[in-house]
Amino acid sequence: MSESPTINDSPPSPAIAGDSQTTAANESDPNAKCQTAIQSLSSIVTTTTIPSTISLLLGDSSVSAAISSLLLRPDSGAGDNNLCRWLYDTFQSTEPSLHLLVLRFVPLIAGLYLSRVLLRQPQAGFEAVLLALYAHETTSRAGQAVTVNIPDLSHPSIYHESKGPAKNNSTCLNIAVVSSTLDPHGTVRSTRRARIVGVALELYYSEISRMPRQSKLDFCGACEKWAGGNGETRAGVVPEEEESVAVARSEKDGGRIPLPWELVQPMMRILGHCLMGMKVEDKEVKEAASKACQSLYLRSLHDINPKAILAAGSLLRLREIALDPKNQIDHTEISNDNVLSV
Amino acid sequence: MLENQSKELSENREDEITRQLWANGLCMKTTEVEAKLDEGNIQEAESSLREGLSLNSEEARALLGRLEYQRGNLEGALRLFEGIDLQAAIQRLQASAPPPEKPVNKKNRPREPQQQPVVPQHAASLVLEAIYLKAKSLQKLGRTAEAARECKSVLDSVEKIFQQGISDAQVDTRLQETVSHAVELLPSLFKDSGDYQEAISAYRRALSSQWNLDNDSCARIQKDFAVFLLHSGVEASPPSLASQVEGSYTPRNNLEEAILLLMILIKKFNSGKAKWDPSVIEHLTFALSLCSQTSVLAKQLEEVMPGVFTRVERWNSLALCYSAAGQTSAAVNLLRKSLHKHEQPDDLVALLLAAKLCSEEPSLAAEGAGYAERGVKNAQGMDEHLKGVGLRMLGLCLGKQAKVPTSDFERSRLQSESLKALDGAIAFEHNNPDLIFELGVQYAEQRNLKAASRYSKEFIDATGGSVLKGWRFLALVLSAQQRFSEAEVVTDAALDETAKWDQGPLLRLKAKLKISQSNPTEAVETYRYLLALVQAQRKSFGPLRTISQMEEDKVNEFEVWHGLAYLYSSLSHWNDVEVCLKKAGELKQYSASMLHTEGKNKNPL
Repeated sequence: MSESPTINDSPPSPAIAGDSQTTAANESDPNAKCQTAIQSLSSIVTTTTIPSTISLLLGDSSVSAAISSLLLRPDSGAGDNNLCRWLYDTFQSTEPSLHLLVLRFVPLIAGLYLSRVLLRQPQAGFEAVLLALYAHETTSRAGQAVTVNIPDLSHPSIYHESKGPAKNNSTCLNIAVVSSTLDPHGTVRSTRRARIVGVALELYYSEISRMPRQSKLDFCGACEKWAGGNGETRAGVVPEEEESVAVARSEKDGGRIPLPWELVQPMMRILGHCLMGMKVEDKEVKEAASKACQSLYLRSLHDINPKAILAAGSLLRLREIALDPKNQIDHTEISNDNVLSV
Repeated sequence: MLENQSKELSENREDEITRQLWANGLCMKTTEVEAKLDEGNIQEAESSLREGLSLNSEEARALLGRLEYQRGNLEGALRLFEGIDLQAAIQRLQASAPPPEKPVNKKNRPREPQQQPVVPQHAASLVLEAIYLKAKSLQKLGRTAEAARECKSVLDSVEKIFQQGISDAQVDTRLQETVSHAVELLPSLFKDSGDYQEAISAYRRALSSQWNLDNDSCARIQKDFAVFLLHSGVEASPPSLASQVEGSYTPRNNLEEAILLLMILIKKFNSGKAKWDPSVIEHLTFALSLCSQTSVLAKQLEEVMPGVFTRVERWNSLALCYSAAGQTSAAVNLLRKSLHKHEQPDDLVALLLAAKLCSEEPSLAAEGAGYAERGVKNAQGMDEHLKGVGLRMLGLCLGKQAKVPTSDFERSRLQSESLKALDGAIAFEHNNPDLIFELGVQYAEQRNLKAASRYSKEFIDATGGSVLKGWRFLALVLSAQQRFSEAEVVTDAALDETAKWDQGPLLRLKAKLKISQSNPTEAVETYRYLLALVQAQRKSFGPLRTISQMEEDKVNEFEVWHGLAYLYSSLSHWNDVEVCLKKAGELKQYSASMLHTEGKNKNPL
């Protein structure tokens, strides 16, 4: 078991202390920014060697595992935590790959943060990271809401023809809000907590196709934890679990948290991706997502939340349909005749 | 190793399957040829085919390749396909294709059928099929990127040959089959190889160019595209505006495009142009629920042809949609029908939903209690975990019902029943904060303020202070206990934890607390602050918030002016009272309370 990371052990490097990050960030060379991030990370994660380039780092699972285990420590969210500081500083950079590096830990951070809130632990470190994500999204959207114009089939479109509405030519707009307006927040007020975490999840979803599978597995685990046990585990038999989930269950109430729509909606989108949007068949992720969906569905039944019942229920039914062998015909296969002709 | 296996297989198969090759009016059994292929003697196999069926080298290789593919020898098939020259085949096909006519659009088919006879396209289309099978073999071997390239070349070639798109009369069935398959395969190959941008263009090409696809293929491609748009997490650039008609709907992002495609598919099914695919409505349910547009979903569900859903299924789904959209009475009506004793009276989810909806209206509360009781009874076995939910709904309904009766006895009976039910629910769901809150409210309504304050504190703890109504409830309970200064402390703490736009009700509460503590100057100051907030909200409030955020009750300006008027009148600042009343009058002309205050103002005795 390695010592808790101290600055004294590592070789002197200009980029270790938090302050010098600002001077380093002034350099416009993206490579330099990545290098500073990597160097400061190596002083925090001492159990494995950090690869030297950002692309190698993004693909390195042992470093991710090391960071995850550091995050899972009981006091990892505190204000003076080195890792939180590193995550915060790294995300402030404008380098997209550095953003990706931080985003992959969002499920873990959000999961730990929300579950530990009820334990009244101070979590200024986690809050700083989440606020940084929120601020980024607020700026990039200029606080505007994300809306969708629901189609009306009486108007023709690129995929279908229609006579169009008889009298008026104007397209009657049916604007639906997918994500509401964002007000800037400097601190995490408890009534805004769910929204801030929800926005962090939305940001995570926007890059979901580039997130590693372990991150998605972490997310599914977090969903199950948040939904709370609602009757799935029968007779108290709990199968062998990974260490992270076992830690979660020892916390108060097993990590069950209030689930307003601001959280549920991004959660559903991410689960939908894990179930049906991943490029390669990944059975483990699909299984985990399916279990998470099941938990959310049962939780929505308990809360009698019709919108969540509809969304989670549809994902579960889709999973059933996909698993049905009847539906696994390959329509692009040629017919297997015994008579082959020219 | 593979060859030994395939030899074994072919030996087994020879007992079951005998294949034949036909060409140019000649027929040949495949036994010999297969044997040669198994030995690795491609040249010999090819020459025996060329002799036996008078084929040229290309045709022979294509036919053999297909044979190997069907037998499952993918590597062998690839070897055979390697030698085929696509370019030459295209040139030949181009030469034999009819010359381009005037542009064929969907509605305007050429008047006369083809003037030339259908040119024998067999040989050249055999080549295209061979390339297609090459792509399929690569796909099955996991070499998806290469497979995608091959498949794309098929489509590119076809586009070069048929520049105006394909119509019915122009191609024979075999070529059409190959084309349809290739069109359907290409996007999924790009998807599997991770090349998302190409996948998107392939989908769009499949759906907007003229490939003469049959309805089912077209429907499948549309569905696959919709699923890709919904779930891949890759934002597609909006379709080109090249073919836009005035007043038409153009999707600007993934969600819009996906919803459009799914709705079109449902419409196709309703008009009989496509087979019912149960996943389509589920995807649409998902997409529309995410956008909180369940009323649109309800309309779509209503339009689905009868026979797809049982009527109870339909009613229950519609009830969920309507209740999610806030249309409670429509939902309750539907649930009444589906919970009728001749339909499905024991459906647990329907019972609980009905009970919940009824618990919000005093006039429906008694009916709701009935549903809740049935729910509790039916929560057996696998569903036993929902028993607590049933009890909770029962408690809520009884509590609401207690607001209606005329006699004290009836009211106290209902209230104690309500508490009993809620206590029963807590035994099942001890960690459900909503239940804790509702228990607190029940106790408060029965004036058991000590219990109420205990539960309200527990609620704030259980939710980490994230739910505003918990704070307000605690403050109200404390003030009911005359503990005004503590209530004010709670209100201040709540103000710290809320964002500006949500602070209205808290400020109003604070002002009233200040009045109760005989602190009028500070009360006035609080009212002024509240007034500024309300006016700012009125002017600059962005309309685009989700429904849940709009449900928080807002303080309206009239209330503030009226409160101020009342406050000033208690301070005997009659001029200020006049001003406030005038302002209030501008907002709402006829108000009983305002007239009362006005009267007091005129007669300050």
